[in-house]
Amino acid sequence: MPASKAAHPEAMAPPTPGPTRTAPPMQPGSWKTSPRMKQYARFGLTGWIYLFASFAGIAIVWSLGSGPEAYARMQAILAHPLAVGFHLLALASVVFVLIRFFGLFPKAQPARIGPAKPPPQPVLKVMLYGVWIGIALVMAIVKAGGLF
Amino acid sequence: MTTRRKFVVTRFDPDKDEVPKTQEYEIECQDDWKVLDAINFIKDEVDSTISHRWSCRMAVCGSCGMMVDGEPKLTCKTALDSYGDTVEIEPLANFPVVKDLVVELEGFMGKFQQVKPWIMNAKEEAEKKAASTMKEGTYRQSTEELMAFKQFSMCINCMLCYSACPVVSNEPDFLGPAAIALGHRYNMDTRDGGQDERNQIFREEGTVFSCSYANECSEVCPKGVDPAAAVNQAKFNAVIDWATGLVVSRPAAKGDE
Repeated sequence: MPASKAAHPEAMAPPTPGPTRTAPPMQPGSWKTSPRMKQYARFGLTGWIYLFASFAGIAIVWSLGSGPEAYARMQAILAHPLAVGFHLLALASVVFVLIRFFGLFPKAQPARIGPAKPPPQPVLKVMLYGVWIGIALVMAIVKAGGLF
Repeated sequence: MTTRRKFVVTRFDPDKDEVPKTQEYEIECQDDWKVLDAINFIKDEVDSTISHRWSCRMAVCGSCGMMVDGEPKLTCKTALDSYGDTVEIEPLANFPVVKDLVVELEGFMGKFQQVKPWIMNAKEEAEKKAASTMKEGTYRQSTEELMAFKQFSMCINCMLCYSACPVVSNEPDFLGPAAIALGHRYNMDTRDGGQDERNQIFREEGTVFSCSYANECSEVCPKGVDPAAAVNQAKFNAVIDWATGLVVSRPAAKGDE
């Protein structure tokens, strides 16, 4: 079992210190090896990918405003294998986050919003995947020039 | 049938120790024992100086939560035969340790009080409902209304969810899974009239929006309460309540003059 790491020293501390000296709180030792926590850490790490993807998006828009030559240079950069690899990584991150989100979202639905009740969780999950696949299909058709 | 097992138990005496240390015990364990049976055996037969909490031995009182091989577990409900020859027993993670396997509870109790876990304005709500339904007498609650929150009322305050939560570990002000689930339980209760107050609390810093939905609280909950669901439903409700407040005027809260 890996050694436990210290938690925040004030974690779960009493509002006023008691008469007895206490040992500081520790994090669970299993966090470094637990598959669930590894998945949670991966989920958190995808934030870095979205950050860099945002920078790339800003750079593309910037190059669009800087004339055709700048945009052509940006296109060349985006065609570089490293850029393509990053975009594949971003795609994998989006799929990973969506699958995690679709797994957790249905149970987070309030039992009732006003008079309306949400559909049962399995139905909600099918609806989420349906919307996702539908949007992906429409986008693929648009990209292929099928609609416009 | 018995199996010889080694238990590595965290020890801490506030009068003697600067930091917690571990102590090893090797005992013969019966195959049908729970982890708590082994700790009780060590306490009774091997080393009476060990301190730990327990009471009911049937997963109701919530006293015997400890870390077993790094995972928060209700030790009276955790079968020993699912572990190897060596079992590590530690006090609940994310809590200050009072002695050995006993953790400080005051912080936990303080968080509970913050969500006002009681039915507020029950008399006024009952009168309102009686007036609208023309029924008098006992406040009636349908099965469907009960089922909206029953799951969240099954919490036994074992604190395993606090031990498993990465936000509790890093944000001392976070109300935490069980307290928010309890507040949400009362918000969902049709007899309660305190939703405005609790939703106001839930919109403050260190409450529902500090939750990053790791879902660990629900994974370790021994009673199937699913606190992560409660916390995230409470997020929705707090936002809807806020949005409703923008267009619908609210009655002044007690004390507002």
